Amino acid sequence: MKKWIRFIQANNLFMKIFLVMGISIIAVSISITYSSIRMSSNLFMDTFSITNSKIMNQITERFNSFTDSIVSASLEVDTNGTIKQLLQEEQENAIDQSIFYYHMTMEMDRIYAEVDPNDTNMIIMSNNQDIFNMNYIKWPVDAEKLANHEMIDRVEASSNDIVYQFEDSEVTNGVPMIIASKALKLRSDYIYGYLFFSLTERDLKKFYESYTGVGNNVMLVTPSGQIISSNQEEMIGELSPKLLDYAKSFEDENSEYRKVDIFDQNYIFLSEYIPSLDIYLVNLIDHEIIADNVINTSEIVLISIAIVSSAVLVAFLILRKMTVSISQLVHQISDMARYQFNKPLKETGGYETRKIAKAFNYMLNELHDYVQILMDTQEKQRKAELETLQHQINPHFIYNTLASIKFMIRQEKKEKAADTIDSFISLIQNSLSNIEETITVEQELENLKNYVQINQARYGDRIQVNYLVAPDCLHLFLPKLVIQPFIENAFFHAFTKKKTGFIQILIAQKEHSLICEIIDNGDGMIPERLDNKTIKTKEKRQLFSGIGVKNVHERIQLLYGKDYGVQIESEPAKGTKVKIKLPIRET
Amino acid sequence: MREKFSTKFWLLIVAILTAMVLAACSGGDDEGGGDETTEGNGEGITAWAWDPNFNIAALELALEHYDNEDFEMEIIENAQDDIVQRLNTGLSSGTMNGMPNIVLIEDQRAQSFLQSYPDAFYPIGDYFNTEDFAEYKIAPTSFDGEQYGLPFDTGVTGFFYRTDYLEEAGYTHDDLVDITWNEYVEIAKDVKEKTGQAMLSLDPNDLGILRVMMQTTGTWYTTEDGTIQLEGNEPLQMALENYKELMDNDVVKLNSDWSQYLEAFNSGDVASVPAGNWIAPSVEAEESQAGLWRVAPTPRLDMEGAVNASNQGGSSFYVLNIDGKEEAAEFLGETFGSNVEFYQDLVQEVGALGTYIPASEGDAYQFENEFFNNQQVVYDFSQWMEEIPQVDYGMNTYGIEDILSAEIQQYLDGKSLEDVLSDAQTQAENQFK
Repeated sequence: MKKWIRFIQANNLFMKIFLVMGISIIAVSISITYSSIRMSSNLFMDTFSITNSKIMNQITERFNSFTDSIVSASLEVDTNGTIKQLLQEEQENAIDQSIFYYHMTMEMDRIYAEVDPNDTNMIIMSNNQDIFNMNYIKWPVDAEKLANHEMIDRVEASSNDIVYQFEDSEVTNGVPMIIASKALKLRSDYIYGYLFFSLTERDLKKFYESYTGVGNNVMLVTPSGQIISSNQEEMIGELSPKLLDYAKSFEDENSEYRKVDIFDQNYIFLSEYIPSLDIYLVNLIDHEIIADNVINTSEIVLISIAIVSSAVLVAFLILRKMTVSISQLVHQISDMARYQFNKPLKETGGYETRKIAKAFNYMLNELHDYVQILMDTQEKQRKAELETLQHQINPHFIYNTLASIKFMIRQEKKEKAADTIDSFISLIQNSLSNIEETITVEQELENLKNYVQINQARYGDRIQVNYLVAPDCLHLFLPKLVIQPFIENAFFHAFTKKKTGFIQILIAQKEHSLICEIIDNGDGMIPERLDNKTIKTKEKRQLFSGIGVKNVHERIQLLYGKDYGVQIESEPAKGTKVKIKLPIRET
Repeated sequence: MREKFSTKFWLLIVAILTAMVLAACSGGDDEGGGDETTEGNGEGITAWAWDPNFNIAALELALEHYDNEDFEMEIIENAQDDIVQRLNTGLSSGTMNGMPNIVLIEDQRAQSFLQSYPDAFYPIGDYFNTEDFAEYKIAPTSFDGEQYGLPFDTGVTGFFYRTDYLEEAGYTHDDLVDITWNEYVEIAKDVKEKTGQAMLSLDPNDLGILRVMMQTTGTWYTTEDGTIQLEGNEPLQMALENYKELMDNDVVKLNSDWSQYLEAFNSGDVASVPAGNWIAPSVEAEESQAGLWRVAPTPRLDMEGAVNASNQGGSSFYVLNIDGKEEAAEFLGETFGSNVEFYQDLVQEVGALGTYIPASEGDAYQFENEFFNNQQVVYDFSQWMEEIPQVDYGMNTYGIEDILSAEIQQYLDGKSLEDVLSDAQTQAENQFK
């Protein structure tokens, strides 16, 4: 759990940006996909319905031209004198009949050309049940059945000139067809024959079949609700009052199309009334099938999914690359302090992060340089200070020494005076003239001896100084005036209570270091005066040179590092032990 | 190195994405392309023919015998007149739209099509061996040295009669063998008198019976060089006299179309059917009349050289020069053109007598037909077939007949035979000059 929280925190930036980006990409594509599918399907349905209503008009036109051809053919038959005469004549023998048949057929052939292009069949039946059938394949008429069919009664009873009806009964041998029938009447209303035009449902279908397709159905509905023709054959002959209702109400509406629920399905409904045939032309469009056929929803969705996933993937990778490097940068920067600002940042990742890291590193380097310069300057300053201190010989020392020598001369201690003057000269010479910072142990020893000689000349021999120097140390180098301040300290401060004592100076190599020890058996120091291995002195000015006990330690560390320095151990009334640790330097 | 790797990685991703998008697009194209090709092959072969009992049945049988699973054929029944009219309309307009791949054309009509529209038909001589077929079928089905038609039925005629009616009128089978048309008229009168039934059914618009009579003597409306010979054509005169005699004596039941023609004998209204052998299946269609029918040789004209054999309405299959012609020709060649087994079945199941010579040796020809009183009908027909006098039908047979049928009505009405023929001759000469 904590791991998770840490992970989330670590990837906080990435998560935020990625979530926002991912969600918006997905949301945008979903909404665009959805709305484009919806819009295109709506647009398609609209245009489809408009096209279909135009098609309906075309089909209606074809029906009208069909009925027109029937009307004009029936008019021709009606006004044809030959047919009228032939049908009214009685044929007594085969010859009469032959002539009758021949001429009827000849006349009808001519008129038949009018309706033939529509695959319509034309039949005339005389009162003697002679049948003249122009295309027996379409309707093999049985004269007796036809003559006794209620169709005849209907024609006779109807005030209409031409009566259209749908038949699929025995009279048509079960073949569904539309039959237009007309009674051929004289002015006196005497019926001299019957004229029929038949159009099988199969041929009728050709009027509209080319416009139909899966989900786009056309059907013809009679005013009694019977479906007499449809591209869906199983529907032919069915009764559907509901469909009729829709068709009737659609006439009153003025809409392009409407949506209906029929045959347990949702359809788009268009309808047209064909007055000449007294039927309703109905177009049912299955919205789903049609739209599915045209609009490949799954393909659109698949394409969207592919684009979205690739976009998200790319976004993921780019973001990951960017944010990870930024996070790493942040991590590295926050870690800076641990490495004392010495470790530069890794310049990896994207362009931006690389630039930032570069700038940061540049700044870090500059800073380092400035700090280095500052430190160098400070060190230089310190050295200069020490150097000046080192080169300063206390004027009091000179004055006192000279005064002592004067007394020696007055007392006529010539030898002693001369020795003191020699020591003084070489001491001053060494202190002032030797500009090199380091000198050999031997030289330092010489200086010490001179110094001790002067002091003893001035103050007497009550403090003895012993030197114990390992011979292998003599050629080693050490900074000037490192030991002298401690001897001075011992001379002037260690023997205030005890009047006599000795100071031992030990110089030897030990564990790859040069160890110098200044041990006295004087008063010792009270612990308060010992502070962090150095001695607190009230005096600001030293007796001999500017270098005091206090800054020896400082100076050694400045020169050689933390491993080296001065250690002081002291016990009151027992003495003090000063240990100076220096590196072994042969030059 | 790292830098290089990541560049390559991005290039790879771009490539993959491009490939994905392209794949999605091209996928759609493939589907579209697939649809188009299936549409192209969707149109099957169509065949037009008439007579469901005979020609259509033969085509269906052929389809059963044709073992090519990819082959689909729609057989459409049309009246012969309708086929002729549609072919004329379609071929003369030059648009082959809505035309069938295979069409059945009567031999007597074939030349008028082949000579008028030679490019509209596909020569199918390469799909079968013409020497396998009766020689008299080759002339009407070929033109200009190219074989266009695949010969089908012979059209050999017979005198189908009702044994019960004829017996009632006092005639036996022997009385009906090798008679003349004059005798036929006399028999008709007796039948009418004794039984009250008409002897035969005729359509005034179809002069097939005249052609049957005329061919027994080997004459035709035209000579071999195409000259119209109506005036002074003795066999034609005699045929017309016989025709008028039949009408005058009221022994004819008139019909105005094929269905009424079939109805006439199927309902038992007529005592005989002098027609091509192709009518046999339609006669047999009325099963209640089994055993009541027999077939005698066709009556001949009472003239020197006339034989008791004639021909009517034999037909052949033609392939129109439109898409699918190769498939159609192959189908015909594999079935009607070479399949002996198919012809055996054709004889037995349909009763159709083909003109494929290798098939005539089979057992099926000896088949005794129960419907026709165990007569070996097919064998008899094949015998009569060999006697048919050869005639060149020329290309104007039906044109002349249209003129003639109008004149005949006047002849029936009392016009003299000489005038009828000379008027017809004049009209025909004017029309077919």
